[in-house]
Amino acid sequence: MLSEAVAGASSRRGFLARAGRLLLAVSGGGLVAAALDAQKAEAHHFCGHVYTTGSCPHPTGLPRVDRNGFPLRAADGHPVDDLGRPVDKQGRPVDSHGHVLLDPDGNPLPPAPRTRVCQAAARAYHFRPYIDGSWYRCCGGHVRRLIDCCGFVQKRINGDAALTGYCYRGRHVFCVMYYDSKVKC
Amino acid sequence: MVGTVRAARHGGRTLAGGAFTVGLALGAAALFGSLGALGAALRPGHAVVLAAVALAGAAAIADLAGLRVRPQVRFQVPERWRRTMPLARALFLYGLLLGTGVTTFVPAAAVWALLPLCVALGSVPLAIAVGLGFALGRALPVLAVSDETALAERPQGLRVLRILAAGSLALALVAGTARAAAPVAAPAGDPGAAGTDLVWQEPGVGGILLRGGVQSQLPGSDPAIGDSFIAWHTGDAVTVAARDTLQPVLQVTIPGVEKLAVSQDWLAYRSAHPSGSEEIRAFAITDPTTTVDVTRSWARGRLGRPSLAGSIVVYHLALPGRSRLFSFDLSTGKRRLLRSARHALLLSPARIGGKLLYVRLGRCSQQLRLGRLDGNGPGRVLYKLPPLAGQDLGHEHGHTAQGSRVPCPGRPKPTTRSLWTTALTETAAYVTVLRPAGGGHTTPSLLETALP
Repeated sequence: MLSEAVAGASSRRGFLARAGRLLLAVSGGGLVAAALDAQKAEAHHFCGHVYTTGSCPHPTGLPRVDRNGFPLRAADGHPVDDLGRPVDKQGRPVDSHGHVLLDPDGNPLPPAPRTRVCQAAARAYHFRPYIDGSWYRCCGGHVRRLIDCCGFVQKRINGDAALTGYCYRGRHVFCVMYYDSKVKC
Repeated sequence: MVGTVRAARHGGRTLAGGAFTVGLALGAAALFGSLGALGAALRPGHAVVLAAVALAGAAAIADLAGLRVRPQVRFQVPERWRRTMPLARALFLYGLLLGTGVTTFVPAAAVWALLPLCVALGSVPLAIAVGLGFALGRALPVLAVSDETALAERPQGLRVLRILAAGSLALALVAGTARAAAPVAAPAGDPGAAGTDLVWQEPGVGGILLRGGVQSQLPGSDPAIGDSFIAWHTGDAVTVAARDTLQPVLQVTIPGVEKLAVSQDWLAYRSAHPSGSEEIRAFAITDPTTTVDVTRSWARGRLGRPSLAGSIVVYHLALPGRSRLFSFDLSTGKRRLLRSARHALLLSPARIGGKLLYVRLGRCSQQLRLGRLDGNGPGRVLYKLPPLAGQDLGHEHGHTAQGSRVPCPGRPKPTTRSLWTTALTETAAYVTVLRPAGGGHTTPSLLETALP
């Protein structure tokens, strides 16, 4: 082993080995960069998603969620309730400027239910929800966590056979959602 | 037909014309009433109603433009009846056939449009009214026109009829839309109704009473009305007065009082604590010192305005995980869950007899619903607004739509108007509509819709 190390550092074989590693790094990095760019074009209905499983039902469409699984408006990450209305931290509906909406007497308008996206899907389709594994992609300059909404289901939301995806212990993917972190990439 | 009726002029024109008219009315009532019954049984959805309205619009345009009526029925009344039967009987039978509108030659496209409209109405009386109107329209030219060639031999005669039919259809559509929800007052909200009296709160002004078409300001705010009483408050001072004379019969102080409801025997109110929480309580008008706790305290904005009919209070409770409508029987202390929703907001119930009126804010629409008090069915939608939020495409730009989902089909355009509080009588439902007024504030307006 020592002789090999000495040979690698000082001989032609060592130079070739170093050159080879450099070439691989350059080409591999290019491949990685190309793959990252390609994610945007080749992913299915949103960046990072690489299979055909449909979105979980979401109040505003694209299945963006916060770290706790509650729905966010995809365009700006604003929390929304089950009616799709933007809400504040107490769940009270707000207008486009963030003012709490008030009735004519000055009381806040009543909050609507706000349900975790995977839980809402499970209720609608009658299964017990699990959040098992995730995978991560770089989307829009930030790391996006792609989350499988799992359950003991045979069919996915698309209506056809469910895949294992990142679900554990015999569970399958019913639908997918995502969380956009602030980590740059 | 004009000639046939004219043939009887010298030998019983009145009888012949009357028989023809009665036949028309019966034939129209039978067919159109059946369609109304079918609609009442099927309870057609929004899509069917829209389709019927669209068809009516197309038919009106076709008649105005003088296009050929399609489909057309190539059948005419049996001519031999006028030779083999007594004339009055023959005309009665002719009227039965012609009254249906579609068993013989169809003179105008509007006729076809009336059929799905009657199904969409979903009401037998209304559908019969449509049929009788059609029958009248069909009878008048026959009875009133003296020149029988005016319709049969001159295209302009039929053209005029078709234009009139198109105009009537268009007017009916507009009237129907307007009748669906007629504005009562603005700014105005939080209605209360009893008999023909209507009360509401005008922001910045106070309580208003509408009686006999005349508005008058009440000496207080947040008025309530029920049976023989009317109530209002000025600050914490609550007044219960005789409904007919407005003379006070009871005055009490209720700290933090916000909203009132009154019936023959009870006064219910929502009050706020200094901490900001709210609750609903009530007392018998004959014993104002003994209060009944209808609800416990809840955070501000979660408890709705109480509505009282007899000894039953109804109200809404909005929690982040679930929205509910409750009734509370003040005489027995029994609470009952009337409606519950996990993904929608149920608001502002009002009750009369076995009917329950309430607002349902769903993801894809806002509805004013009238249902049975003791059922959990959707009931009948009296008035509807678009949803309060829009939606995206379900997929990101540059990506396929495969796998994408959107919450509402058809991408309805959202509105900033919101349905709010309600009131109910035997013949009409009232609803407050809130409009944004800047800074999160809202301005109310009051609408009335007739009950089916």
